[in-house]
Amino acid sequence: MRLDPLSIPYRIAENSVRIGGAIVLAGVAGSGGSGGSFLQGALIFVGIAAVGVALVAGWEVAYHRRFRYDLTEDTFDIHSGVLSRRDREIPYHRIQNVDLRQNVIQRVLGIAEVRLETAGGGQTEAQLQYVNRKEASRLQEEVARRKRDDSEDTESEQQPPAGATGETLFAITPRELGILGIVSMDLRLVPLLLGALSVFGPSMITEVVPDTDQLFLIGPLVGIGAIVATAVLSGIISVLRYYDFQLHRRGEEYRYERGLLQRFSGSIPIEKVQTLSIRENVLARWLGYASLTIETAGYSPGQGSGARSQAAIPIADRDRVLELARSIEPIETFTFERPPKRARQRYAARYLIVVGVLIAGAYATTLHPDVSWPWYLTALLVGMVPVAAHLKWRHRGYYLGEEYVITRNGFWSQRITIVPAYRVQTVVSSRTIFQRRRRLASVVIDTAGSSSLSGDDAVAADIDDETAEALREDVADRLQAALTSRRRPGDGHPDSQPA
Amino acid sequence: MTDADPPTGPADGGAEAQSGRSDAENQERSQPDGTDERDNDPPVDRAALRTDVRTIEARVRWKWLLSALFAAAVAGVVIGALSVFALEWGPLPGVGAFLVVALLGGLHVVLLYRSWEYQVREDALYLQRGVITHVTSAIPFVRVQHIDTSRGPIERALSLSSLVVYTAGSRGADVTIPGLTPAEAEELQDRLKVLAKDTADEDAV
Repeated sequence: MRLDPLSIPYRIAENSVRIGGAIVLAGVAGSGGSGGSFLQGALIFVGIAAVGVALVAGWEVAYHRRFRYDLTEDTFDIHSGVLSRRDREIPYHRIQNVDLRQNVIQRVLGIAEVRLETAGGGQTEAQLQYVNRKEASRLQEEVARRKRDDSEDTESEQQPPAGATGETLFAITPRELGILGIVSMDLRLVPLLLGALSVFGPSMITEVVPDTDQLFLIGPLVGIGAIVATAVLSGIISVLRYYDFQLHRRGEEYRYERGLLQRFSGSIPIEKVQTLSIRENVLARWLGYASLTIETAGYSPGQGSGARSQAAIPIADRDRVLELARSIEPIETFTFERPPKRARQRYAARYLIVVGVLIAGAYATTLHPDVSWPWYLTALLVGMVPVAAHLKWRHRGYYLGEEYVITRNGFWSQRITIVPAYRVQTVVSSRTIFQRRRRLASVVIDTAGSSSLSGDDAVAADIDDETAEALREDVADRLQAALTSRRRPGDGHPDSQPA
Repeated sequence: MTDADPPTGPADGGAEAQSGRSDAENQERSQPDGTDERDNDPPVDRAALRTDVRTIEARVRWKWLLSALFAAAVAGVVIGALSVFALEWGPLPGVGAFLVVALLGGLHVVLLYRSWEYQVREDALYLQRGVITHVTSAIPFVRVQHIDTSRGPIERALSLSSLVVYTAGSRGADVTIPGLTPAEAEELQDRLKVLAKDTADEDAV
């Protein structure tokens, strides 16, 4: 099969813009040698530009003519390349995701980009630029179906009926979208912004509004304005990203669609789900909302793993999120075990040191002859230490169930990580020198999906060291138990077959 | 500290804890059939493959000491150069920095060696180590992807070997046991291979 004919003009436009710089440069150079006459110069310029575009057009027509893809019995074949030919056969069972994306222009033209993702390697395995929107959906459907057939040959698991249209698990309402906009303002940017403002702000203000003696008023105003602006901007961005978000379940995968300007559709293979995390920042928690993220892992022998994290639910009522999480993993009701109270002392001590440094720094500035301000007012920060320590302690905890380990961390941005016992990779307990003083330890439950770069590991932090030891052993035992029960046919999860 | 630092494990380690090898030899003596015929005998006797808590070879301290001295030399040269050329205080701060870093490094090496322990249990490999932060890891055999032994030039000079165990996890995806004798490393590799194979009919993710 071929790409959509409309992809030719689109790709010509796209690539002409991309090499537009070179065309303009060549045009200017060409017209510069024309000896001065403006008309002549312009003609040469247009001529060179036309030649450039014509070359691109020729290339794109050839690209379209020489690009062919086929859905064969058990592979997805792609034959492509104008000068150097490339033939690829991708086995269906190795395809993890078929993602579609469409920007505004592509939507008007009714074409879409299809990306085939496999587990191995970090980048997209194959791209179809571009096919008809209907054809794109058909491909997505077809690959999913053939993948299912493929795996059905090899095992006798019970499969959910492959419905033509999947059931819709979640669709975002305008109200939720609005709340998402409010909630997703990035609080982490604020200190950065304030830091930058305190350095560059004063000089900028004196440049813009000279001769004012009310600087002390303008400073906070600019600060608040900047915070509001970032908040509004990040709100708008996430509204655009998650506009008309929908999550469907279709056979063995979840399918989501989202986006206003750039329409995006992707899939999450259920058998690759590693962990679920429920996140809520302070604002969302206060409003009673949360989001759900699914971590999946790609694995192919010899290639190690690549972890992917996908927002399954950008925002929803907290109960709703829990309910959806339960539909993915049947978690029992859980209550968190908080760290012992002496962990709170540890946080207090830590914050006290930070505050001490701040006060000392404030005092140090007054040593400069020109600076004098009531530095001792920073001592008020000490009053916040117990509050902060308590909040940090309050929002930590862990739960060990028969089949799940659940951890909770973070006050500003709380995340609850749900790790199925059969997904545990390694269990590591560690005690720093400061933790040993208070007989505390942390247990990290590693999975193939956790993205440790963003610090999203499942950690039971600062629990009693004997409890930690027991937890480490228990988690390892639960893993064995879970694997044993999943090895028995007809028992446990429907996705226990190897990839 | 001396080489006769007794492992904290069961009784048989104490008397002849000249090196970690004694445990391995005990183990081999207690199961003379070796590992060969387990491959065609699916129900692996996991209990027999367990080991006691083992320590690592004392010689590994020389290797660590060398890298500590190297770090100390770098620190000494940098600080010495700063003090000679930038501050014009003479070379003494450099020597001081070298001595301080070397001393701390040496202390760290001794403590790190003392902290290292590993054990092959029924389901998992257990490792314990760390000076400032004590870390205990459990690596279930089901999750082992592959096992390497590696020997660098210094390790070869000391006739040592390291074992590297890989998992598909994201943090600590590879775990190294340093300071094994080559025979010990190979024996441990075989042992883990049998255990991992026995459980590896699963997707390891």
